[in-house]
Amino acid sequence: MVRDIRESQALNPVVKHITQEKINLYAEASGDFNPIHVDEAFAARTPLGGTIAHGMLSLAYVSEMMTSAFGRSWVSGGKLRARFKEAARPGDTLTISGKIDCVEQKDNVSYANCTFECRNQKGETIVVGEAAVKVSK
Amino acid sequence: MSDKSVSYDELAPGYNFPPATYELNASLVSKYLRAVDSPGDGFVPPLAITACAIAAMIKSLSLPPGTIAIHASQELEFFKLMPVGATIECRSRVAQKITRGKMSMLILETEIFDKNGEKVQAGKATVALPG
Repeated sequence: MVRDIRESQALNPVVKHITQEKINLYAEASGDFNPIHVDEAFAARTPLGGTIAHGMLSLAYVSEMMTSAFGRSWVSGGKLRARFKEAARPGDTLTISGKIDCVEQKDNVSYANCTFECRNQKGETIVVGEAAVKVSK
Repeated sequence: MSDKSVSYDELAPGYNFPPATYELNASLVSKYLRAVDSPGDGFVPPLAITACAIAAMIKSLSLPPGTIAIHASQELEFFKLMPVGATIECRSRVAQKITRGKMSMLILETEIFDKNGEKVQAGKATVALPG
């Protein structure tokens, strides 16, 4: 958990390695068996050149980072807006990082406004976004 | 939930997907945690709940074989922590359907409620379908 909620405070990053097995497991968990995720022969013939991870898998890692930082406040009062910029692929190692941009008061409630990003091992941006969570200060 | 599927061409703004009910049982949560490589925190991860809503939409949607669906953006708001064993109802609708040349884009809105009708989560997804 973040103990010192202040501007520019970095959140503990989450690092995950993507494998086809994890993508297949996510397909089973979400029911999303679109061939671009699970059919390697099909995906190889598309402009993407191979299978890609579900965007929601990368977003699950973002949520894991936010849960680790803010606990139940995130789960019962958080919100996010994410844009998927590039595909994550089997073999990628994703690093999800974030920071508190500002803490603002609205109706006597403090909110930590954060930005986050997910990059692969080449430094390519996979996901970017903003998140806000109620905090006690 | 109805097993009847709707084709992409039949989707129009305002279309409501059949509501779907899920029990967030230990098996479902454990399957999700294994998929996202997470130890879990003793409650249902909010994106496991989102995954249920996605599953419900996919189950009732019939896309032409070989269609690639690319998730372009996602908004989510979480209102309530759900314990393992809780029941949720997912309601999703087509907010917009945009076609530009061969590219199509769907904007889908979802609301998820608990068994008492309290809102658990809301979301908006933009999905691109390159032609």
